[in-house]
Amino acid sequence: EEAAPVFQYAGKAARRKDRVFVWGFCYSGALGVPSFVKPDVGWKKPRRIQATPYRLETEEQISSAACGYGFTLLSSSTTDITKVWGMGLNKDSQLGFQRSRRDRAKGYEYVLEPSPIPLPLEKPQQTRVLQVSCGRAHSLILTDSEGVFTMGNNSYGQCGRKVVEDETYSESHLIHQLKEFDSRVVQVVCGQDHSLFRTKKGAVYACGWGADGQTGLGHYNITSVPTKLHGDIAGVNIIQVSSYGDCCLAVSDEGDVFGWGNSEYLQLASVTETTQVNVPRHLPFKIGKIKEAACGGTGNVVLTEEGNVFVWGYGILGKGPNVIETAVPEMIPPSLFGWSDFNPDIRVAHIRCGLSHFAALTNRGELFVWGKNLRGCLGTGRMEDQYFPWRVTVPGEVVDVACGVDHMVSMVKSF
Amino acid sequence: VSVLGIGHGNKLLTDLYNCHLTKVYTVGGLFGKATDDFSDTGKLVEKTTFDHITREKLERILAVIQGTNHKALLLHSNIDMKTQEAYELAVKGLIRPMGKSPPIITAIRCLQFTLPEFQLEIHCLHETQQYLRKIVHEIGLELKSSAACTQVRRIRDGVFTLDDALPRTQWNLQSIQNAIGDCQLRVKTEIEKTIGHQDLLHKMDAEMANAADS
Repeated sequence: EEAAPVFQYAGKAARRKDRVFVWGFCYSGALGVPSFVKPDVGWKKPRRIQATPYRLETEEQISSAACGYGFTLLSSSTTDITKVWGMGLNKDSQLGFQRSRRDRAKGYEYVLEPSPIPLPLEKPQQTRVLQVSCGRAHSLILTDSEGVFTMGNNSYGQCGRKVVEDETYSESHLIHQLKEFDSRVVQVVCGQDHSLFRTKKGAVYACGWGADGQTGLGHYNITSVPTKLHGDIAGVNIIQVSSYGDCCLAVSDEGDVFGWGNSEYLQLASVTETTQVNVPRHLPFKIGKIKEAACGGTGNVVLTEEGNVFVWGYGILGKGPNVIETAVPEMIPPSLFGWSDFNPDIRVAHIRCGLSHFAALTNRGELFVWGKNLRGCLGTGRMEDQYFPWRVTVPGEVVDVACGVDHMVSMVKSF
Repeated sequence: VSVLGIGHGNKLLTDLYNCHLTKVYTVGGLFGKATDDFSDTGKLVEKTTFDHITREKLERILAVIQGTNHKALLLHSNIDMKTQEAYELAVKGLIRPMGKSPPIITAIRCLQFTLPEFQLEIHCLHETQQYLRKIVHEIGLELKSSAACTQVRRIRDGVFTLDDALPRTQWNLQSIQNAIGDCQLRVKTEIEKTIGHQDLLHKMDAEMANAADS
């Protein structure tokens, strides 16, 4: 026995690999696996829904991902020429112009695997892409030194450029660059048809559709140039902005939360009875200092400094089938996230929102989802809605997750 | 800890079995060896290196094991996830499979870690000794090495802990009588709590069946 050979599977310097897992609705191509949509010679069969996390092979390490309405953007912080890949729906050129291989003059309407998006950078080998964000039919790409690039549908000015009448957005080569802000942009957020920009100085700019007041500029018209927001956030240092539907939330450095936009689902009913709020209003919640906020289509969720999760709004909020709507934030018991006497130091570290579902990441790297299971977007392996937080089994430690309407993308570190 | 029933106590044993309480084991393991029956006395299958393993990596694996077993716990408890009852039980942490189920681990943590040996404390339901040894083997595989189980010791069986156990020197009538007297009350409350709760669930099921019929 002592003479048996010793095998080495991992050395002392073995590093953890970064992986990307996708799940949800496949036919839009947003998952980036062509075999799920069109049959090929491999073993994978086409399927309508991928109900459990599936590993997506990527060329580079992905640092930021965003899910739009039927499409996905992945970006890496590399200095190589190709920094952003897109897949899914491209009918409004939200993934840029994807030249078709059969006809060099036409572009693809559906992109089935992660395809590079060429950006008109001045210094392509120095600039890094920090973050991407996707809305219904437009996308925003944030770079560290060349401002924000926008592409896709601009019928409401959401790309930050003047609305051109009768413009055809499909097969368009136009990528607009936005540079005029009071300081460097550090976060970009896409709502359904509007865009929000947060700058280093703590100001928030908005452009796009405003019929629900989601631009927060004091009127209900469209805005085609990013304009600074005032109201209750004037002079306040905002450290995080969030939006996905028509409601927006912003968190200040002192732990206060401000909201504006659609309030038809009681999202802002704690300060007003009107269903649209077009100026940022402070939401006086007595739940402690707030660290992070996330907006969904009909429900909102915030995370406090102590690691507690509060939800309010309408829909499946995560407190069982009886809590369908509430105007005041209600806490989700930490025992649902794995906290117990045996594990007292489990805390929720991040929260994310899709259109009708929520996701929470704990400090141990576990992913919990709840909400409406639209076309398998929860990733639990079952087709039923989930009324309280449920673990998603991912082979690795989940670092970040992006939620879309009917699919999700997660960035995972292997063990 | 091994529970013995005397006379009328045998009936209590079946009741206790139906309570499906958790048992706690300390399991010792050794990195670097893989054997065919997962223990260190079996036939050697493979030897591997283990110097890349740290306590942090082990705890990460244990967290994942706990997570997947927690999911299995909820799935096998035969409660419809869409009901308010399921939500309240999940919040309190009282969901437990009340019938036959595959082995489920409710909690696991690392007590000692000195390469190549380690010791785990495992709380589980419906387990077998082979399952515990297999868990040690799988932990080794997940850490890209291999492990064999060196020791399995039950330290708690439902309500009976190590403190209640009688060492061999005390196997006489007087100590046995004292031990029975000490445990009687605890056993009774545990059975009432769980079987009583089960009666409540049965009543709810009957009500739902009636509502469905009408």
